[in-house]
Amino acid sequence: MNTIPILELCNISKAYASRKVLSDLSFTLAAGEYVAVMGDSGVGKSTLLNLIAGLDEADSGKIFVNGQILAAGDEVAATELRRKYFGFIFQAFHILPHLTLLQNVSLPLLLNDMPLDRTAAMLAAVGLGDRGHAFPYQLSGGELQRVAIARALVHRPRLILADEPTGNLDPDTAQEILQLIRAEVKANGASAILVTHSHAAAATADKVLTLTGNGLTETRR
Amino acid sequence: MSGQLLSRWLLLGEWRARRLQLLVAIIAIMLGVALGFSIHLINTAAVNEFSAASKSLTGMSDLTVVAAQPTFDERRFPEILQQPEVAQASPMLEIMAGVLGFQETLRNPELKIIGLDVFRAAAITPDLLGIPAEDSQFDTLSEDGIFLSPAAMEWLAVQQGDQLTLTLGAKQVTLRVAGGLVRAPSGQRVGVMDIGAAQWHFDHVGWLSRIELKLHSGANLATFKAKLASQLGDGFLLVEGTNQDARVHNLSRAYRVNLNILALVALFTGAFLVFASQVLATVRRRAQIALLRVLGMTRQQVLRQLLLEGGLLGTIGALLGLILGYALAAIGLHFYGADLGAGFFAGLTPSLHFSPMAAGFYFVAGVGVTLLGSLLPAWEATRTQPAVALKSGSEHEALAVLRFPWLAGGCLLLAAIFVRLPPVGELPIFGYLAVALLLIGGVALLPWLAGAFFGRLSKRYERHPKGAVRTLVLARLSNASGLAAIALGGILASFSLMVAMAIMVMSFRLSVEDWLTHVLPADIYVRTVIRQDARGFTPEEQQLITSVAGIERIDLMRSQSVLLDPDRPMITLIARPIDAHQPANTLPMTDAVLPPQALPKNAMPIWVSEAMVDLYQFTVGREVRLPLGDSTQIFMVAGVWRDYGRQFGAIQMQLADYRRLTGDRHIGDAAIWVKDGVDVNEIVKNLRALPFGENLKISPRNEIREISLALFDRSFAVTYLLELIAVGVGLLGVAASFSAQALTRIKEFGMLCHIGLTRQQIRRMLIVEGGLLTGFGIIIGFVLGVAISLILVFVINPQSFRWTMQLHLPWSWLAIMAFAMLTAAILSVYQASKPAISRDAVRAVKEDW
Amino acid sequence: MRLLMLLVFLLTGNLLLAAERSFETVTPGYEMVFPQDFGAHPDFRIEWWYATGWLQTTEGQQLGFQITFFRIATNAEKSNPSRFAPGQLIIAHAALSDPALDSLLHDQRIRREGFDLVYARTGNTDVKLDDWLLKRETDGRYQTFVQATDFALELAFSPTQPLLLQGEQGFSRKGPKMEQASYYYSEPHLQVTGTITRNGKPIAVTGTAWLDHEWSSELLDPNAAGWDWVGANLDDGGALMAFQIRSKDGAKVWAHAVWRDANGRMTAFAPEDVHFQPQRRWRSPHTQAEYPVAMTIKTGETTWQLIPLMDDQELDSRASIGAVYWEGAVTLRRDNQPAGRGYLELTGYVQPLSTGGNDD
Repeated sequence: MNTIPILELCNISKAYASRKVLSDLSFTLAAGEYVAVMGDSGVGKSTLLNLIAGLDEADSGKIFVNGQILAAGDEVAATELRRKYFGFIFQAFHILPHLTLLQNVSLPLLLNDMPLDRTAAMLAAVGLGDRGHAFPYQLSGGELQRVAIARALVHRPRLILADEPTGNLDPDTAQEILQLIRAEVKANGASAILVTHSHAAAATADKVLTLTGNGLTETRR
Repeated sequence: MSGQLLSRWLLLGEWRARRLQLLVAIIAIMLGVALGFSIHLINTAAVNEFSAASKSLTGMSDLTVVAAQPTFDERRFPEILQQPEVAQASPMLEIMAGVLGFQETLRNPELKIIGLDVFRAAAITPDLLGIPAEDSQFDTLSEDGIFLSPAAMEWLAVQQGDQLTLTLGAKQVTLRVAGGLVRAPSGQRVGVMDIGAAQWHFDHVGWLSRIELKLHSGANLATFKAKLASQLGDGFLLVEGTNQDARVHNLSRAYRVNLNILALVALFTGAFLVFASQVLATVRRRAQIALLRVLGMTRQQVLRQLLLEGGLLGTIGALLGLILGYALAAIGLHFYGADLGAGFFAGLTPSLHFSPMAAGFYFVAGVGVTLLGSLLPAWEATRTQPAVALKSGSEHEALAVLRFPWLAGGCLLLAAIFVRLPPVGELPIFGYLAVALLLIGGVALLPWLAGAFFGRLSKRYERHPKGAVRTLVLARLSNASGLAAIALGGILASFSLMVAMAIMVMSFRLSVEDWLTHVLPADIYVRTVIRQDARGFTPEEQQLITSVAGIERIDLMRSQSVLLDPDRPMITLIARPIDAHQPANTLPMTDAVLPPQALPKNAMPIWVSEAMVDLYQFTVGREVRLPLGDSTQIFMVAGVWRDYGRQFGAIQMQLADYRRLTGDRHIGDAAIWVKDGVDVNEIVKNLRALPFGENLKISPRNEIREISLALFDRSFAVTYLLELIAVGVGLLGVAASFSAQALTRIKEFGMLCHIGLTRQQIRRMLIVEGGLLTGFGIIIGFVLGVAISLILVFVINPQSFRWTMQLHLPWSWLAIMAFAMLTAAILSVYQASKPAISRDAVRAVKEDW
Repeated sequence: MRLLMLLVFLLTGNLLLAAERSFETVTPGYEMVFPQDFGAHPDFRIEWWYATGWLQTTEGQQLGFQITFFRIATNAEKSNPSRFAPGQLIIAHAALSDPALDSLLHDQRIRREGFDLVYARTGNTDVKLDDWLLKRETDGRYQTFVQATDFALELAFSPTQPLLLQGEQGFSRKGPKMEQASYYYSEPHLQVTGTITRNGKPIAVTGTAWLDHEWSSELLDPNAAGWDWVGANLDDGGALMAFQIRSKDGAKVWAHAVWRDANGRMTAFAPEDVHFQPQRRWRSPHTQAEYPVAMTIKTGETTWQLIPLMDDQELDSRASIGAVYWEGAVTLRRDNQPAGRGYLELTGYVQPLSTGGNDD
């Protein structure tokens, strides 16, 4: 097995207009690990995810994804790294409204220039195998999030970033979705970082980290 | 491969989502391209036909000898032919003859008659030879035979063997249609006959109009030209093909350029519409674009995608525009003729030719403006942080880039400078640029203006709030002025152009009306069937006209064309009695008048039109010579008068001076004042009863006035059409941007529904919003339009047509237009709001796009 | 003879029929008066001066030449005061036969009289068409100048013999009817000096020419389709002229010949005593017409053999008078002995005879 950590943050700091959000944060995520990140509002959870995804740049520190450094300022390299290694699940689903479910799920494959044969299987795995040609407006919130899960995993990314994936869902559906995320992440051999406010959600992770002004600390269950 | 697939999916998805807006954008591009292309096609057809016509008249000639006056003494012919450099010389007499029976229906029913010597013309203008019937080979020499071009035959509805009666002054000539021409340009109306017969029948024995020369191959054209010019002396001009081209070009240039610019304005409005539509679409898709960026689409890919979408729109619109433009041109040519009613290309029926070059230009222009319209929003879309853009509610940030106060200021400043610059190549290029800059500056200033205006309004309103709807409307208008401004831009551009054109046309029309009152003081005007008839009325015939009972006073006039510069169209010389002490009694003088005592004893006074000052520098007080009889005679410009009839220049002089100089006792026109108590119709009847009464064109003053104004309106028909189209495009833009905005705000409406607003209230909110915005756009558009009209009236018109006019603001007309615009905008908002409020509000809230 | 019929065809157009302009008629018993009759006769419908001859360059090269000026009175109304009124037309043809070339060099002009640029004057031979001219001096010498497209001729002709009045003292019948006739005299054995310019190079030439002057107002026999004519300067100082008019089926409609021997003795031959016998035909590559370019002519008991200087001496005048004809230099043999040199004219071998326009 691969011994290189899938993600390594070294002494990351980030401030927005003199407000320090992250300071000197270090963190390592081993391959196959599924962690939940909790923390108070405004503590920097989303910033952390954006930094990891290369959507934002740290003021200082280094980020390695699968052993490769996320070079500051190299927009194209960051995009390519993100495209290949990451899968995203959002609170607001973000399914393109004018594409069918199959097309939506195929997006990462198309961007990575990969064959589309895994799309249908992925949709089936999230329980929507027979709805491939439907449009997003015909779906409920839980179903939309299932599509998002399929899309996040279809191109076999190494790391799933999920930002409050159940924030817009009722508790029963939320639990279903969390189980599905976990099952699919594990089934695909990926790692995952789940950002959430919900202890119930965090409980589905291998371990729970709490982000505070002092950094990430593991919370014992 | 998969990139293409993705691209296609996104494209189709997007198009599925906003069919209406796309349709409007395509229609806008299509209209812009179609107008530009069709006007270009019509102009090219007319100019090509015109220059083909003038080329076929000169054939393979190296040099044409013409006189400044219409004809010259034929005794110069052997002298010219015997020049050692001359290989061939073909003498020609060109006469404009009237077509009897057409004078009541046509403005100037003239047929060009070319008298030529077939033997000498064969080597130079072979196309102009007649084709006689099989059994009468020498009919080309006959005295009564005329050979007609196909267009002339069709126009006159005659065939080989038919009789054709033509008029020249009081005289009638009946000829026999002897056949067609070898190869006359298809659209040109011309008749060819033997030069001897033409001289005889048309009272021009001893006179030629021109001599076409072909030189020996070794001869140096420039040297020969100089030698011949000095030998022939004053009053002769040697014209080369390049001069002809220049003249043809000059003849219609200002008119053509004006129309082309109007077409480009339509394209510009279309481009703005596309821009607005693309901006809104991109704003609406911000989150989607951000998602694609998060999923791993690079900036270039996103940019490419957006430009591809815009480019495809542009391509479809431009292609449709080319097709529509061609059809419009064909229809326009068919119904209105080459000049679209403006009267520049009489005697021609041009045919349309598809020009790949022009089509390419307008296609590229159409696609280009669409791409430009997509570029800014696309660039903005890729520039945003995807993480930020993913969060909803950040749309307003996107529009921050659309605030260009510096651009607006720069444009307006440049416009102010350009207005003062002189014309380039006799065209008001800077004037047009100033108009364009005013438009761009105005549109760019709008977001700021709208923000300031609605902000202030909203602040004032906050102190006395009344009702949720109004509060919501004002809050939105003052805070989201960027979005509002996009809808406003279309209104502003089209309304300001409409206002400007209306002011210009109305000013022009009123000036022309005043002018007509001034130039038509008499009760009845009598002239030959055609204007500037080469023969006119002999002194005996003048006597007959003058002695008609009931005439209080009669002014006789002689007018003829004079060529002062071979590169320019001919000017008109009008000889008539003029009140030398008070020329304003006779002519519509401007302020530039020389007091009579300032005239030197040896100089004859002439009064020139404004165009003469611009084109020939005939300024007041200047001594000039004219190619009339004695070439040493000095003339002095004694005043400048306004002439809306002849943009290439006109000179008026005393009839007595003219007669003394030229010995020409004929006249072409008479102005008759009727004695008190005598019925005008009685005089008309008496004139008709004259032996040559049938050949008279008798017009009571009011009739001329009405015809002139009708002609004026006809010549502006295209302008009105373009105006309407610009307004249509503007309204389309309003509809499109409101419906697009309504869609982007569905969530907002859903939320409002949730918190208890009724659908009617939401609709009212939208309508009040639209009405306020449109009203604001109309006010700004009015200000901008007045500014543009000032440029049109005081810069562009004097520079391109060389006449000045007084400014009139047609208030009621403008008010009607403003009201119509407002109503149309509100209706379109009402229509656009339908889908927004009919959608499921609950789902709208959930939808996060 | 000479192209008479072409002109007749030309004039049957409606120009002729349009008005009733009366022309003088040709009658027997007219006594020619000189020098007046050298000049033009504008009251007759048609007239021509027709010079043909053989030239020799200083290098000994043999060439044939033809210079013709026609005058045609049209029916243009005399009342038209315009100087451009086409009352008289002048047509000129010029040709040069050079055996070294494949075909005839020729050029043609047609103009209306007027402006002292184009005229046929009365009183003495003086015809001009722009810069082409033929003029007889008071001493009887002719000057001619022709600037054609491919060549220029500047020649002087000096008479060496008295005039030859054709027919009955110049009254020359052209058909079975008395009114089918012309006034006709010839000047054989004109001595030629001058220059020919080709490709810009002037070449001095000398030679012998034959000049015809003929005028008439009358039509040919309607049955006539063409004619063959020959005029030759005989080596012994004699002169021979012979023609026949053919009907559409090739039969002889009329013929005539006159032979003036070295002593000036004239012998005239009646139609039945003149026989043209084709010996060899040449097909024109330009028009596909077949011309009997080699002939024997019998005048009474004498047989003359005609051998062309070159085969292609076809002249396409469709651009001026509307016909194609063969007009070429020939040598004459009598009893297989060289007997003289002259010009043979063959018309009516291309159908239709008149196709032309009137352009230059």
